[in-house]
Amino acid sequence: MTPPEFKEQPLLLDVRNLTIRLNSAAGLVHAVEDVSFVLREGQTLGIVGESGSGKSVMARSLMNLLPRRSVAQRQGSVVLSGREISALSERELQKLRGAQVAMIFQDPMTALNPVLTICVQVSEPLQQHLGLSKQAARQRTIELLDAVGIPDAANRVDQYPHQLSGGMRQRVVIAIALACDPALLIADEPTTALDVTVQKQILDLLSRQQTQRRMGMLLITHDLGVVASRADIIAVMYAGRLVELAPATTLFSAMRHPYTEALFNSIPRISDPGHTRLQAIPGRPPQLHNSSPGCAFAPRCQYAQQRCHRETPPVVVAESSIETAKPTEHLHACFFPVAKSASGEAN
Amino acid sequence: MSDKPVQTSPLQLRDRGDIVLRIEHLSVNFRAGKQTVQAVSDLSLDVARGETLGLVGESGCGKSTVGRAIMQLPPPTAGKVLFQGQDLGLLSGEALRQTRTALQMIFQDPISSLNPRRKVRDIVAEGLQIWGRPSQQARVREVMEAVGLDPDAVADRRPHQFSGGQCQRICIARSLALDPDVLICDEPVSALDVSVQAQILNLLEDMKQRYQLTMVFVAHNLAVVRNVSDRVAVMYLGKLCEIGDTGSVYARPAHPYTRALLASIPDMNPLSRHQQDGLPLLHGDLPSPANPPSGCRFRTRCPNAQSLCAEKEPLMQAVRQTVQNDPQSKATVEVSDHFVACHFPL
Repeated sequence: MTPPEFKEQPLLLDVRNLTIRLNSAAGLVHAVEDVSFVLREGQTLGIVGESGSGKSVMARSLMNLLPRRSVAQRQGSVVLSGREISALSERELQKLRGAQVAMIFQDPMTALNPVLTICVQVSEPLQQHLGLSKQAARQRTIELLDAVGIPDAANRVDQYPHQLSGGMRQRVVIAIALACDPALLIADEPTTALDVTVQKQILDLLSRQQTQRRMGMLLITHDLGVVASRADIIAVMYAGRLVELAPATTLFSAMRHPYTEALFNSIPRISDPGHTRLQAIPGRPPQLHNSSPGCAFAPRCQYAQQRCHRETPPVVVAESSIETAKPTEHLHACFFPVAKSASGEAN
Repeated sequence: MSDKPVQTSPLQLRDRGDIVLRIEHLSVNFRAGKQTVQAVSDLSLDVARGETLGLVGESGCGKSTVGRAIMQLPPPTAGKVLFQGQDLGLLSGEALRQTRTALQMIFQDPISSLNPRRKVRDIVAEGLQIWGRPSQQARVREVMEAVGLDPDAVADRRPHQFSGGQCQRICIARSLALDPDVLICDEPVSALDVSVQAQILNLLEDMKQRYQLTMVFVAHNLAVVRNVSDRVAVMYLGKLCEIGDTGSVYARPAHPYTRALLASIPDMNPLSRHQQDGLPLLHGDLPSPANPPSGCRFRTRCPNAQSLCAEKEPLMQAVRQTVQNDPQSKATVEVSDHFVACHFPL
């Protein structure tokens, strides 16, 4: 398949045909199947999927963070700024992680070490990767805490994680991630554990930092609303596969995959009157233990036909890329893509 | 702040014959070490028959505690919970347990609220067995079918064989078995997959019609609450800040906190990205409920706060609106069923 081309920016991340199978007590789990995409410098790619769609496994595998014993199979290539990740030694990877690529996880409570001060935790990558002295690292830490919106950073720096609220802890996690000016930031459900008001603050902070530092960002979430107004490109995953990928505006104005459409329609809207009947998707996401042929969404799909249950649809370029103004591509994996516009009014 | 809570006049309580649940001046305190945390402070609201009341707010605002206090789990520190005119706080032991069968609850995590060692059939039938209700088998079949579970296929299985959505259906079946009047739902869909949430929300709506339920729906997702509720109550740090008809509250929020909450909802429109910064934003985090701010509890984060807000706690008042026909006139009318506790309502 051909990844979408954004001519303006140099390539940052090039993932091709990534397939990951994990060992589990119940057998082999097909966590990620043949996923390809590219990310250019300064771009945000939103990856949307439900739990079990493989989005987190995919994100972790980009930096080889999956426990070695649990990975049964890994195919495909991940090229970061021209270097193939799977060819690197553990030592070389260590140098990459935290310096060129940083990650933010869902739960800020467990991402921080409870017995170390904020200063020690933010300074660590500064001393490790940038070779700053303890004194310089401390100064830089205070600046970073300030940049991520922690009030009274000079005093907060000596506090422990338990003395901070959830939103503040996530800011500390972001400060650690930004410490070495990474080229790529992987944010895996960065706001799921937070309240809506704090969620907005954190997402705004990430967007601002990303623009300032011209980082590439992978924003992984289960919430279409989180990526809608913040991602340049949105990839939708279902059962380990990429089912649709398009620039955000194109995706919302002309979604092609029935799953994207169903997901979009099942979400309650603020703008709808009360007691509006929701268009629920029947059934539930599949287990990933067996690799039965056919489209994984077919059993829940209202448009499914015979062929969908027999063959796995390949990722293809949407034939009616109506957005002719932009040199972008709209990809989907469906034999019978939906044509009508599902969105329309704003939320 | 003085130890005695300021007695707000519960303007928002309605004088109607069909009030099923009435909460007056409810306070719930918890001990946390040497401190006392006021989880709920002087909260009054009511729910009419067949109505769904949505209870929203950030985590730690006391919304779940209200749900539990209604069930007397644990009993409130102060205030009354009246169920069909009966003060639940005055009942004890057997009488409370008897009355409480009419109030049922479902919880956020459907998997951990089911006993993993029991069969689905026994889980759903437990209430019926305890109370020795007649024709238990038939009732179990009926409620299981009502929630979309095939009794023949699932009755002998155990919870671990089901997905989260299915487990929530089992929880709903269990709560309906005793034919309750009131269903209290504490974040019933927030642990579920996005694609399954709509199924459960539709199911709750169907069950409400079929069994003539009155519902209290506690949730942090404002879009979900918009969909299910007739009235909505917004809580902040244990206090009620705004209550009223859902359409009115969402269309014209009168409390700065409600407006900020609504503005925080992620926008589904990708074209709106450049407009976002214009919206009022809430700064900072929730203050500690052990040591709430004086006066209005929201004032520390409120963009409109003035000195009065720190001195005096705002009382609940009816929301007023300028007369629509005549934009020139300064005359205002009270909006029916919309109340706000703010010195400077929007």
